Amino acid sequence: MFKNLHLKVGLFVITVLVLALGFLVYVLHARGFFEQRQHLNLAAVSADGISPGMPLTFSGMPIGQVTSVTLSEAGGIVIKSEMSQDGAKWVRTDSTFTLDKPLVGGAKIKVSSPDLSSPRLPDNATSLLLVSDPTQEIPVLIERVKNILTNVEHITRKDGELNGTLANAKTITGRMSGKYGVLEGVLGSEENARPVVASLKNLESLTNRLNDVSAKVDAMLAKTDRWLFAEDGLSEQSKQSLALVRAMLTDAQGSLKRVDALLKNAVDISANVKDGTQDIGKLRAEIDDAVRKTNDLLGDINRMWPFSKDVDMKLP
Amino acid sequence: MEFLLNIIERTGAKTVGWWNASYGVLRFMTEVLSTVANPSAWNRATLDTIVKQIYFTAVQILHVYLIYVTAISWVIITITLSTARNVGLFDAATEMIIRVLLLELLPFLTALLIALRSGSAINTEVALMKVNNELDALSHCKVDPMQFEFLPRIAGGVASVIGLTVTGSVLTIILAYLSIYGLSVTGLSSFSATISSVFSFGVLLGLGLKCAFFGLAVTTLPMAAGLETPKKLFMVPVSVLRGMMRVFLALVLIEVLSLALKYI
Repeated sequence: MFKNLHLKVGLFVITVLVLALGFLVYVLHARGFFEQRQHLNLAAVSADGISPGMPLTFSGMPIGQVTSVTLSEAGGIVIKSEMSQDGAKWVRTDSTFTLDKPLVGGAKIKVSSPDLSSPRLPDNATSLLLVSDPTQEIPVLIERVKNILTNVEHITRKDGELNGTLANAKTITGRMSGKYGVLEGVLGSEENARPVVASLKNLESLTNRLNDVSAKVDAMLAKTDRWLFAEDGLSEQSKQSLALVRAMLTDAQGSLKRVDALLKNAVDISANVKDGTQDIGKLRAEIDDAVRKTNDLLGDINRMWPFSKDVDMKLP
Repeated sequence: MEFLLNIIERTGAKTVGWWNASYGVLRFMTEVLSTVANPSAWNRATLDTIVKQIYFTAVQILHVYLIYVTAISWVIITITLSTARNVGLFDAATEMIIRVLLLELLPFLTALLIALRSGSAINTEVALMKVNNELDALSHCKVDPMQFEFLPRIAGGVASVIGLTVTGSVLTIILAYLSIYGLSVTGLSSFSATISSVFSFGVLLGLGLKCAFFGLAVTTLPMAAGLETPKKLFMVPVSVLRGMMRVFLALVLIEVLSLALKYI
């Protein structure tokens, strides 16, 4: 029995020792005693609501905690915190730190890293702590709500604008329920609304007619298009005839030059023979006439078909 | 006038009584401490008795204690979790469970259990020894009752309270984890973070000290009460009553003091 007793007590004591030691090691491990901790300093304007032991969370998961809160020489607040190496990998150079103080529950520092590919924050780095505190906004909010309520009270008082507006609205909606609906409401009475409705009807028939016209114009344009620019269309033909006319004119100009020279000779001869004959003077007048006519023809053609430079077509 | 004198006299008597009792307890405590500090007191015989005391105080009731801890922890964890879920403070539930159960309730209940079971037994035993002149007989035989009767019981009591609390705490932590996260290891990091934030070194040291003081209270106070017993058999129940009352007051006092030190 005695040996049995010793065995049982020994077992109990060893179990307790193992459990106690195990728990101690677990707590030490959880507190990061066996791994290198990464330190982070946060600068804040006020230490309000910040206390040692406050967790740092990334996406809601704890990755570290605040170890101390101290005043710096410049009067600012320096919050020292540390993270496990496992947690520190979520903190990047472009991470932001926000103090989150919910209305209910403990405050925490939220870490958000928008870009997880940016480099990791070095040990003992200093960053700025932003504060989002809904309780601080409450007084401002209440002040604004108060103003709004005063305004609402002012508007809804017995002889206020709202009552007058509502009365007007009632009259208008009453009219709107008449024969000409909203138009009557806007214009005031049935008599005023009637011409508008009539003109609207006119407009409808006018639009119909306009539609017809534009359809016809369309068809016409298509035809003109075909007539002008088809393979054997007018445009092609006039181009060919103009080429002929130009060749003809060039010929005529050449002959005229020759005739001019001839005439000069003739004049010289006639001067020589003095007075000459009546026939030659007649011939001269006729030739002058022919030259004038040719010039006119050339001018006409140039005016009608300014083909040599400008190929712009004027459509009807 | 006589009435007034009567009141004053009674108040004086009570004060003297309290003073005597406190003085007795304090003297006994200093005696215990001086024996503890004396290396020659820790011989083979004393250690054997300590082992026996641990067996009777802790090992014998271990299974009962574990069932009791499981039941009470499970109930409190479940209530805390469902309440926390209802009021939207589930994040704080783990910390609440650890703080309430592990740091306060379990050590207190363990000490209370040992006081009820072993403390009362020690009180009765010492009172009977006193009444039957056994203590005088032991002293007469050059057997120091402090070394062979009292010290082993005190050491055994302290060790038992600490041992049972450690066992119960580990069980409660496992139960809490299972209740919150179930049979998965995904919550381990967040659970560890909470544990680490609660159990600073100061808190761990305070918990150990508190358990030790609880162990001291549930053994020395009944012994002191037993030693005070007048040598009349009918005074034994009165002695046990007084001793247990003092134990209860002392436990509450230690608990309140520890809380005050921690949170004020």
